[in-house]
Parts: sequence; C-alpha cells; structure tokens
Amino acid sequence: MATKPKLSVYWAASCGGCEIAVANLHERLLDVEAAFDFVFCPCLLDTKKQDVEAMADGSIAVTLFNGAIRTEENLEMARLLRRKSQVLIAFGACAAQGGIPGLSNVSTAADHLRTIYLQGPTLDNPEGTIPRRQTVVDEGVLALPGLLDQVSPLADVVEVDYTIPGCPPESHQIWAVVDAVIRGVALPPPGSVLGAGASTVCDECPRTRGDKRIDQLRRTWEIDPDPDRCLLEQGVVCVGLATRGGCGALCPQVQAPCIGCYGPPEGVTDQGGKMVSALGSMIDIEPLKGLPEAEIVARIDAIFDAIPDYAGCFYKFGLPGSSLKAAVAARVGVSAQDDQ
Amino acid sequence: MRVGVYFCRCGPGLDGQVSGKIDPGAVRGAVESLPDVAYFEVVDFACADGGQARILEHLAAHRPDRVVIAACSPRQHEDTFRRVCAQAGINPYLMQLVNIREHVAWVIEDPERAVDKAIDQIRAGTARVLHQEPLEAAELDICPDALVIGAGPAGLKAAMTLAAAGRGVTLVERGPILGGLPVRFEEIFPTMECAPCLLEPVLGEILHGELPGPIDIRLTSTVTAIKGFLGNFDVTIATSPRHISVDACVGCGMCIEECPTSVPNALNLNRTTRKAVDFELFGGLPNVPVLDEAACTRFTEGSDCTACLDCCPVPGAVLFDEVATATEKKVGAIVVAIGATIYDLSQVTRLGYGRHPDIVSSWDVERLLAANGPTGGELLTADGRKPRTIAIVHCAGSLDADHVPYCSAICCQTAFKDAHLVESKAPGTQIVSFTRTVVAPGKEAVDLYRHAFDGPHAVERRYHHPGDVEVRVDAAGGLAVSHATGAGEPEVTEVDMVLLLAPMVAGPGPRELAGVLDVPTDATGFFAEHNARSDATRSPVRGIFIAGTCQSPMDIQGAMTQGTAAAGHALSELVAGRTLRVDPATATVAPDRCSGCRTCVPVCPYQAIDVDGWTLKASVNSVLCAGCGTCVAACPSGAIAGHHFTDDAMHAEIEAVLHA
Repeated sequence: MATKPKLSVYWAASCGGCEIAVANLHERLLDVEAAFDFVFCPCLLDTKKQDVEAMADGSIAVTLFNGAIRTEENLEMARLLRRKSQVLIAFGACAAQGGIPGLSNVSTAADHLRTIYLQGPTLDNPEGTIPRRQTVVDEGVLALPGLLDQVSPLADVVEVDYTIPGCPPESHQIWAVVDAVIRGVALPPPGSVLGAGASTVCDECPRTRGDKRIDQLRRTWEIDPDPDRCLLEQGVVCVGLATRGGCGALCPQVQAPCIGCYGPPEGVTDQGGKMVSALGSMIDIEPLKGLPEAEIVARIDAIFDAIPDYAGCFYKFGLPGSSLKAAVAARVGVSAQDDQ
Repeated sequence: MRVGVYFCRCGPGLDGQVSGKIDPGAVRGAVESLPDVAYFEVVDFACADGGQARILEHLAAHRPDRVVIAACSPRQHEDTFRRVCAQAGINPYLMQLVNIREHVAWVIEDPERAVDKAIDQIRAGTARVLHQEPLEAAELDICPDALVIGAGPAGLKAAMTLAAAGRGVTLVERGPILGGLPVRFEEIFPTMECAPCLLEPVLGEILHGELPGPIDIRLTSTVTAIKGFLGNFDVTIATSPRHISVDACVGCGMCIEECPTSVPNALNLNRTTRKAVDFELFGGLPNVPVLDEAACTRFTEGSDCTACLDCCPVPGAVLFDEVATATEKKVGAIVVAIGATIYDLSQVTRLGYGRHPDIVSSWDVERLLAANGPTGGELLTADGRKPRTIAIVHCAGSLDADHVPYCSAICCQTAFKDAHLVESKAPGTQIVSFTRTVVAPGKEAVDLYRHAFDGPHAVERRYHHPGDVEVRVDAAGGLAVSHATGAGEPEVTEVDMVLLLAPMVAGPGPRELAGVLDVPTDATGFFAEHNARSDATRSPVRGIFIAGTCQSPMDIQGAMTQGTAAAGHALSELVAGRTLRVDPATATVAPDRCSGCRTCVPVCPYQAIDVDGWTLKASVNSVLCAGCGTCVAACPSGAIAGHHFTDDAMHAEIEAVLHA
C-alpha cells in the first residue's frame, strides 16, 4: 500500500477557532483522511511533540500552522514544523498577520505581566507572584515557556510557503485548497495567498455604493443602517475596502461592518495604514471650507473622535504584520520574565 | 543590474556648489561598494553643454541598466538629464536624479555630516532606481478647434481671439442675442462708457468680420453632454427653436407690428409689454426677433394665427415648424464663460425687496435708466413721480454670513455709477448712500468715487453690521430707511426710492454645467480654478478653461481679459498639426484588485477616474491624469499604482535611507 502524504495542523497563540474551521469541513474530513495521513494535531489527535521530532525532516507534506508566535514554545514548534514539513502554510489571521493576540504589541510583554498579575483590580496577590520560566518545587523543577517581547506572524520567524487568511479561514476556502492539493493541481508560486480573492470584501459585498463623502462616523450601536447601502457611506467604519476578499462579505450582509480578518489585499502591506489613508480622503470637507483654521481642526477632530481605539479598529488582525509591528522596538531573544 | 552613478560638483574641483561641501572623493568608496553600482563618475557642471556631452559619451560607452545622477533639484534639471539619457538610448524613466545640492550641500553646515547624508541619499536613489520601469510617453492626435460656452464679454473675447488665430470656434449662447449683460446696460463704470458701443467692434468682428477661423454661432442653445478629454472632446449642443431664421430675417420688425399678442416684458420689470414675436432687446445683435412659444397663441392655444408670416417680406424667415435639435461637434478645448447673476434680494427680508415697486435692485435700475427701458430713460417711481430722495444701500446681502459671505467687488463702483446717472438724469435728487466698506480699487475708480459723495445733493452714511440698515414700508406705501448708528434710536430717512446693491452670485449655472463638464464648483458656487492665484482661467480639468464671472465676481475689464487669457491657454495647449504628449508618470488601476469601492473617484482633482457601470471597476484616463498620486494613496485596496512612484520603489528608497 502506498503511503499517504502526511498532514499536520498546529496551534500556536490562537483560540482554537481555526481547528473548528477545519472540523467544519464536516463529511469532507473523510476525504481529507482518505487522502492524507493526519499525523499531528494537538486539538484532535494524541501524537506528541516527540513523535514529530522522531519524524524525518521534510516527511510531513503539508502543515497548517495557526496562531501567532507569542511564546518560546510557539517559536520552537514553528521551527520544528518548518523542518519537518515540505509545505508550511500560515493558516488563519494570527499566523498570517499576528491576529487578535497581535494587538498585545501596543504594550510590552513585561507590561502585560505587570498589569495581569500585579495590578488587576480583582487580584489578590500580596506576594506579587508572577509566572516564572522555572519554579523549583519539592518534586523538582517546573518549566514554563517564556513570553517573547512581542508577537510575530509566522513568516517573521520561519520561512512560510503559503498563507490562508481569515479569522477563521472559511471552511469552503480551506476545502478549495485541500482539494487542489489532493487533485495535484499546481500551486501558485511560493509566497502566494491561497483560499482568498485578490480584491477586497467590497468586491463580494451586495450593498450599493456611491462616491464617499462622510460627515460623521458612527459606532454600530448608534445607527440602524440602511441594509442596501454601503455601511461606510453611512458612517460606520467598515474596513472591507482595505480587506482581502474571499469570505463572501459575510459580516456586511448581516448589518455588521467588516473588521478586517482576511488581512490586507494583494499588493498592500499595511492594512490599517491604507484604511486610515482612505478614510482621510472620504471626510466631507465641503462644509469646512472657509471656516477658521481652529474650527476646521476642531470639527475634523470631532469626526475622528468617534473612533475610540485606532489599533483595534484598523489593525484588529494585523498589527504585528503591518509596518508598525509593535509599539516598542523588539528586543529579540529577551523574554519578559528575564526582565523581572 | 548595473547602475551608473554620476556626481556633479556644480563647479570646478573642490570649489563647486556641491563639492565645496561634499568631497566626491569621500563619497566614492561608499557608493562604489553598493551592490549594484557599476561605476562612480564625477562631473564639474553636469547641466552645462560640456557636462551633458560628457555624460552622454560616458553612458554610450558604458551602457548601464540604470542611471543615478547626484546633482541638484529635479525641478531644475530632471528634464535635462532625462533628455541626455534618451539621447544615449536609455529610457529616461530609468534615471533617478538625487538632489545633493539643495537637500545636502546648501543646508548642512558640517562637511562630514554632509558627506554622510549625500551617501544616504545616493544609496536611496540607487535602491529606488532598481525598481523603476521604462515608460513611454504616448502621442495623441488633437482637434485644434474650440467650444466657447456663453457669449458675454468673456466668451466673445475668447471666441474672437481663437478665431483670429485661425481656430474653428463653436460659440454657444443660451439666449437669443450676443453680448451678455453689458448690452442690456447703457453706461458702465469707471468712465461712463457706452456698454453696447464697447462691445460693438467685438460683435461686428464675430458676426460680419473676416476672421481667419470660422465661428459657428449657436444661439438659444445649451451644451448638454461632453465626453472625452483635452484635444478630443465630443460635445452635444441642444438648440431650442427661435422660429425666425437668423439667416433669412432682415430685422425689419414688421412681424412685431402685426403680432396681435402682447405679454408683460420681464426685462423691463414688467412695466412695458412685448409682442409674442419681438426683439429680445432693441438693438441687440443679431438683429432678429424671437417667436416666444410661451406667448404665441399658435403654441399656447393651438390657434392658426399667421399674422407674422403674412406680413413678412422675406420668404423662409418665419419658421413655425422649427423644432428643438441636438447636434454633435468635436473640439479640442472648451472655454466656459457662462457669467453669473445677482443675489435674490427677497431673501434679505429687512431690505423689503419685492414688497414695494420702488425698492429696486442694481440690475432693475439699469433698465429703469435705459433709453430702451420702460420710461425711455427718465427716472420715475412706479407711479410716475420724479423721486426727491433716493437711498442707495451698499452691501445688500454681501459680507453677510447669513446671505453672501464674500465681497462681490463690483457693487460699490456700480453704486457710484448709479449715483452719477441719477444726478445727471434727475438733477437735484437727494441721494443718500448707506455704505459699509467702500471698495474702489484700480487707477480709474477714484473719479466716480469722489463724485458719488462730493456732490451738493449727496450724503454718505456709514453702517457697520448687516442688520443696521432696514427698509420700512408703511401702510400708505411710504418708504423709509432706518439706520442704527449704535447710539440711541435709529435714524430714519424718508425716501421715494431704494436702490439695493445686490452682490454677484454664481447662480445655478455653474452647478448645472458642472455635472456636464465634470468641472468642480467651490463653496461659493463659482467654478473652482486650477489655481486661484496663478491659473485662475484654467479649471482643474485639462482642456477646460473658465473665464469671466462664472469664475469669480469681476468687472467687464476683468471678464474680457480672462476671455483672452483662456483663449491663450487653449492656443498654447493645442497647436494644429502637433500631437499631444501624455506624460507616462500617471496612475493605473489593476482591474483584478479593484473592488469598485469608489474611494478614488471624488479625490481626483482632475476628474480623471471613471467607474465602469457594468464591471464596477475604476479606470484612470491617462490624458487627464496629472500623476499627483492622490488616488494611489487613497485606494484602500492597493489597486492603484502610480507609474514611476510605485510602492516598491518608494519602500526601497525609504529602507535604503533608514538602513545604512
């Protein structure tokens, strides 16, 4: 019997949603199982790290790696799976761009530890205990992986062959990629994005759109939007126009603005920067013309004050992958616990 | 790739404007060690003939793939060195000019730091030039003819100038006569010149002169559609029927005598009547009446009256069956000179306009004082009395945030003229002028200005705030002007007539035509200029020019000057037999990335972007695009790239500066 190619799915700093998306292949999982030898998936299978270490380098055909690189363990597993895999795919928004965990890059890891373990209003920690990389107990030494100083996308730490974006990637898109691999369809050049469009969410959005002149930005609870008209034109910050398509514009179809999970479209490196730049072009300045300078500044500030959180609004899924990367310069190789 | 770097000393040896601060010897090592640099060559004066020849010879001998010239500002010599590259057979867009004079030598004191910065800049230029692509300028055939919209002073002057240069001109006028507003007026400031006489030579040339370029005059016509771009516009002109043939009619006026239908003549404040077939204005050119479909009983009641046709001595002059037509023309440039109007004074309720027939606007009074006006030029109140006292109220609605926020520049001088006319036509009339801020600029205005306030029957009263002056109408029909002076009760002056100086406003014309032309209007409603100071007669759209009061309030002199200026622009942009060179450094849309979000459309200052109605993809018209890059920055989808300013090239440049 010919051996089947090996498949692995790993999670680094992630929520498990990507595994759910894989599970949502439903009966097609049987096709996956028929085509691949599913060798490693901590969420679903019992194989352990040492089992992977025991495999020959390059013996895994495809690894779908989800989650961002937050800890030393994530980094170690990324390097291990890179070594063992022929094709390493950054799977989902966190592996692709840093994802939600990437928002922690607005602060340092040391700040996080301080805030979470020492300063939280609901804490009772009089001894100031924080997680340590090594803790000696009677039974021996307990080890925890260290926090890296900043969150990175997978491609920043190992070479990545392809990216499948989304939070999570849509199951039909996962299937399209897996199916192509099963059928032996030639994959596009390494570095390409798979399972998504080249254009943006607007390309798939059924709402009608006109020239954009926005006089007021509105948060979702402030408006019951016209279901047929572009949300952005109604003042709701929908980032679909700076977000790669492929999801089928699911959110705008249910009155929710796109929050950008499919990441930047082809040719864009900085999704949030593009969105800010576009939004700046859309503010209706006609009524401001001729006003005193201070008044113009005040009115424009008032419009943008409606955005409470720029990082969370424009870089929700991609701060580490953007040109901003992080609020502070990386101190590569220094973990937060060493700082304490 | 092999990059050839040339370093211009901008002078001899170490005494040049560049080499005096940046020793090329100190730069050489660092530049030669850059991975793609093939050689580093130093020139004394690269821009001088000798320097250009030297670079040309060197380029021809070494054939680099890319060229970096470290010299002065691209504003000064980018074109020079692009030409040199082209002569050497190297695509000019594969050259990057690095500005080490203005950006380094002139602004950095310390020579060592200057050397460091020069190296940074050359490294950045070298990194950038590797990403530059060869671009070819397109050449397009052009139509040298022009369309002029509006036959007032600005439009007439533009048409005449263009025709004098041998260009075919299509002159489109909404009304039935030429000349615009001044032919409806008699005398004009600042020297009480006869306005129709002033226009007479221009009108004579256009109607009967032997200008080298043909002028196709389209009266009672409007422009309803424009497609295309500079050098290649297709325009649609809609003409409504005049029912009297301009070619056949000799202007004898017999039809007017015989026409049985009279209607109020709005031009004369409805104080006279006109016939259903009548001259728009006695003396207006062409001297051909108009049959008014809104008045003639053939059209209003379906009668079979043929009075005008029966008496007409010229066969084919009366054309009952004439219908509206639409014709298409091809032109290369468009001059828009559609004029302006005055503010609707009934909006300024405190001034009483519309509530009493002797409260009149500055336009009304032109007709009241005209020899072909309702009183044959005599100044009379609506009930036929000679007025003893007239109030002239300046700034009626202007410099008023609630009405017209700006000063319309010409009303003060109009007021002085009106005062002068009143005094000469009705000597002894008391004239009380309510002024706010007197505007009388230029070398000629001062005479009328003095005259207006120095006469024995002239009184000037200053007011400060728009609300300080009110016109009161009492139950008996008496008129009075109330003037709040800030101290005590307002002063009240009883008058027989009130003349309100209404500001000039754009009216609906520019906004209506803006949709057809794709030329934007500004917050005041007038057309927006390419640059309000340096290029006021160019619209932001290439090939469309704006002249006269549709650009801003101005006097006749200004309008005629602008008409000539606009014609000059059209002449210099479109020379017969010459092709139009289109700079290739424009924006371009990748259709597979464009989602049709339309973010780019309103940000383009040149109206160069269209979105296809079916595919919803945007596209940039490379002739209209000026390469400003606004859409490139605004496009949230990364679908628009700026040729010669690609993201890749700029990122490479920035990274090379930052990572020494």
